[in-house]
Amino acid sequence: MKEVVLDCFGEACPVPLVKAQNKLAELEVGDVLIVQIDHSCAMKNLPEWATKDGHNVEVEEVDDGEWEVIIEKTK
Amino acid sequence: MAREKTVEHYDVVIIGGGPAGLSAGIYTGRARLKTLLIEKALVGGLATYTNEIANYPGFPDEPKGETITNLMKQQAKNLGVEFKLTAVKSVDLTGEEKIVETFRNKYIAKTVIIATGGRPRVTGGIDEENYLFDKGISFCATCDAAANTDKHVVVIGSGDAAIEEGMFLTKFASKVTVSVMHDEGIMDCNEIAKNAALSNPKMAFVWNSVVHAFEGEEHLERVVLKNVKTDELIPVSCDNCFEFIGYIPNTELFEGQVTLTNRKYIPVDDKKQTNIDGVFAIGDVTDKWLKQIATAVGDGAIAGTAAEKYIAESEIFEEKIMQKEKVGLIYLYNAIDQDSREFLSHVEKIENQFGSELVVNRVDVYKSTGIADRLKVESFPAVIITKEGKIATTLYELNDMQITEAVKGHM
Repeated sequence: MKEVVLDCFGEACPVPLVKAQNKLAELEVGDVLIVQIDHSCAMKNLPEWATKDGHNVEVEEVDDGEWEVIIEKTK
Repeated sequence: MAREKTVEHYDVVIIGGGPAGLSAGIYTGRARLKTLLIEKALVGGLATYTNEIANYPGFPDEPKGETITNLMKQQAKNLGVEFKLTAVKSVDLTGEEKIVETFRNKYIAKTVIIATGGRPRVTGGIDEENYLFDKGISFCATCDAAANTDKHVVVIGSGDAAIEEGMFLTKFASKVTVSVMHDEGIMDCNEIAKNAALSNPKMAFVWNSVVHAFEGEEHLERVVLKNVKTDELIPVSCDNCFEFIGYIPNTELFEGQVTLTNRKYIPVDDKKQTNIDGVFAIGDVTDKWLKQIATAVGDGAIAGTAAEKYIAESEIFEEKIMQKEKVGLIYLYNAIDQDSREFLSHVEKIENQFGSELVVNRVDVYKSTGIADRLKVESFPAVIITKEGKIATTLYELNDMQITEAVKGHM
């Protein structure tokens, strides 16, 4: 059960989504991936994809215009 | 392998970040209550799916739904409301402490406000999801009728909502085609609506039909209906389609704890409280007559204020009224009743007689029966004697002697 931070600051869609998808594939069930983003479109498509895929998702606004999308791999 | 959840305490946890939840947060935040709002998708709720909102007072320029809800969010944030963007996994609302769990946190709250809204039931037709909300499929005639002036619209369904909203649409649209599942002349709506609809020259009906598919470049252009008896496909060209086949409230999380109507809505009282003390419900998830942003924010104001009163009453109740140190006398009276008012001087005499041995509380029930409700007293005036923080005797007669004897009996 590890926690991996993926820095996607400054990256526009769909880069954060693709990076997150690739990273999550490497992780084990129960691991947590924290994707740091500052493009609001990723704030929509990242949680949408992760929820649809059945993972646990939480979005935290860490600063004005900066978010952490926290994804726990469930399968 | 479950991860240890972080436990956090709040005065108020609001589940759902639509206009109702945001409005409740604005009120509880302003009352300086520690408030958390949990939203599983987008703050703003269903309102964010609307491109023009023309009937919310104060916004004459028909802004996007998101514009209004973003302002509400900003206002709530300014007042100290914290936001958590994740789904609620489970709740336990039955105890004094309300527990709300997400996948990483366990929140313990004094009150919970349910503002989870609902979702329109959809037909399940092919490619339906491509045209939902602002791309041709609508669920609200009150919202979108005016945008359909001189257009051809298709209405799905034949219940009261479908037919009444369909008739409303004929005031704007040039033609309203209604897809009805049943045989010719049979509808699910009431007879008056049915007869009015059948004689309305702008209304046409396609009997024995359900939706097969939705088609169009970008925006909806055609609804393909299917005859349920012959399987014949019937393409109907149109500008927009309205689906009125029911609404599903998001109450799955609360089943078995909060009382629901047979349609799964939450019934509430005039303070928006559910069957559980300290648990409120507001907006589209409640059993209400009109689902609009304007009514949702009104609900939020009521529940936010009621939550604040509930917490204040809880504190007074536990620390003052149900104090454990001494024998207590609680006088519950209605200040507009003269006899009850005059008896206050008798209460004072009894108080003086026992001095510091007795703790006396006078509770005026005129404005709020909250404390009386907690004491399970329904008729006034009433006198309650407590011992070690528990009700020992309840008297409904204003008799000095009887009350004095009762107090002595518990000393």
